[in-house]
Amino acid sequence: MKHFSRRAFEFFLTFFLAISINFFLPRLVPGDPIKLIAGDAAPQLGKERIAALRAQYGLDKPLSEQYMIYLKQLAHGDLGMSYRYSGGKTVVEVLIENFRWTLLLVGVSLVLALFLGSALGIWSATRHGDSIDFGLLSGVYILRAIPPFWLAMLLIPIFAIQYHYLPAGDSYSIPRLEGWENVKDVVRHALMPILVLILAYLPTAYVIMRAAMFGILESNYIRTARAKGLPNRWVVLKHGLRNALLPVITSFMVDFGQLLGGVTVIEAVFNYRGIGNMMFEAIKSRDYPLLQGGFLLFTITILVLNILTEMMYPLLDPRLRRTV
Amino acid sequence: MKARTLANLSQYPFPSRRLARIAGWSGMFVLTLMLVFAFFPGAIAPYDATKSVALPLQKPGKGNILGTNDLGQDLFSELIAGTRASLLTGVIVSFMAVFIGTLVGLTSGYLGGWVDSLLMRVTDLILVLPFLPLVILISVYLGPSQRNIIIVLSIFFWAGPARLIRAQVLSTRSDTYIEAARALGANPLQIMVGHLWSSVRPLAFVQIVLVASASILAESSLSFLGLGDPSGKSWGTMLFFARASGAFISDAWKWWVLPTGLMITLTVLSLGLIGYSIEQRMVRSA
Repeated sequence: MKHFSRRAFEFFLTFFLAISINFFLPRLVPGDPIKLIAGDAAPQLGKERIAALRAQYGLDKPLSEQYMIYLKQLAHGDLGMSYRYSGGKTVVEVLIENFRWTLLLVGVSLVLALFLGSALGIWSATRHGDSIDFGLLSGVYILRAIPPFWLAMLLIPIFAIQYHYLPAGDSYSIPRLEGWENVKDVVRHALMPILVLILAYLPTAYVIMRAAMFGILESNYIRTARAKGLPNRWVVLKHGLRNALLPVITSFMVDFGQLLGGVTVIEAVFNYRGIGNMMFEAIKSRDYPLLQGGFLLFTITILVLNILTEMMYPLLDPRLRRTV
Repeated sequence: MKARTLANLSQYPFPSRRLARIAGWSGMFVLTLMLVFAFFPGAIAPYDATKSVALPLQKPGKGNILGTNDLGQDLFSELIAGTRASLLTGVIVSFMAVFIGTLVGLTSGYLGGWVDSLLMRVTDLILVLPFLPLVILISVYLGPSQRNIIIVLSIFFWAGPARLIRAQVLSTRSDTYIEAARALGANPLQIMVGHLWSSVRPLAFVQIVLVASASILAESSLSFLGLGDPSGKSWGTMLFFARASGAFISDAWKWWVLPTGLMITLTVLSLGLIGYSIEQRMVRSA
């Protein structure tokens, strides 16, 4: 229970840091925040108009008071208005609209990459030093050096333009199809981004699993299991993998914070309607509230993923069940 | 015990010593080539990459081996000119990041106590925050430029090296020679600079190479998103303009997108190979 409260405090701290970054960043950058809000139009605005804007955004109040107001708004789920949509859309609305697409891409590719990467890592570890290990390792070396967005830029002309196997971008056809056809359509659109994301996540899973299995396969209890005459597959998967799962998933989740954001660039290439592409569009239109909202949502996603992983620990390791 | 710690740090053990050597030297070869491109672009590139020399969006032909971009600039010359931005970003970011990382790692590992908890808490926070979205957010506020990309990447890339160096310090801090130095009355600063530094130096050196490789990859992503210097020449920016002018919907991807990404891949790979093969030597000699 003590462990739990400490972790909860850490998660809260991270969240608090993220929202504070969102608050202080625009105020720390040299220059008047009004210029950021009004953009190129700032010089043309009269003095009264600027004063009115300042009051509207609460910029005339002291910093501590501004911060309290900001926190209060946040507690009400108010992240401000997006600049980009002239009709006026709140940031939260835009985020909710886009998030499911990112969740679809990241969720599917995360699970598949973990599964595939781990399987290859185990294979590599059992064949340590021979040509299969070397081949897989070289493949992963090269894969790690390839910018994923470039891979995406090569898949589109080949699979979408030349052969018309798959759609070149977007998350669904317009007009949208009905029922079962719609499901197939969404899958076809998600296929290429998911493939690229799997290739981007896979090396991390592979490397971690390979290293973990190396250590485990040399340990005494594995030697005992072998000596008992158990078949190799049983030894590796039942005795070895069982003990590797916890450290592997823990290390993978630590690295995933760095990996998750990569979806931004992939979505931008495919014009996919997720948070990443939304941020790419927001860069072009200098839509600061939207960018801040995107960053906050990514942070929350990572924290939730971390919490889910921690909740899985007792399932993965029976030794942890007793203490809970 | 020491060998064990270092071996655990190596995520990419090579199957054999010979292969590690081959990998290291081929990495050195490619890197040397890139350095030549970066220092003497004029000797290789046929044109000034910032001048329009032909009609825009030309296919590869006699005058232009890889055709021209949307402004009529020679793509091959642009490719060569882009080397400098990538390598420069890699070098500066890696030195700054590893410098900060070493400072934090040494202090945290040797002093321990509340200093250690505080520094490691900060390191963990940086590692858990979503890297690219935050970097995008900061870069947009700072404005698009190569310098800002370098600053932002340096802020984030020190955390990984700091953790590794702290781990190494923890494993050496109770060695006899450190105890001896302490018994002789050396203050923490003398121990950190004079003794511990020499034990983490090889690790820091490997980290410089690996962080350089990672930051070149990150720089290309940021430039591709339009956060690089729009008039400067870099591979990421080239891909940004390739996308903007629809290069991968036409045949132009073959001479515009393909070679540009290949240059990024080769540079990142060469640094990676050098880093891992040095690391391998360290593990074996430890």
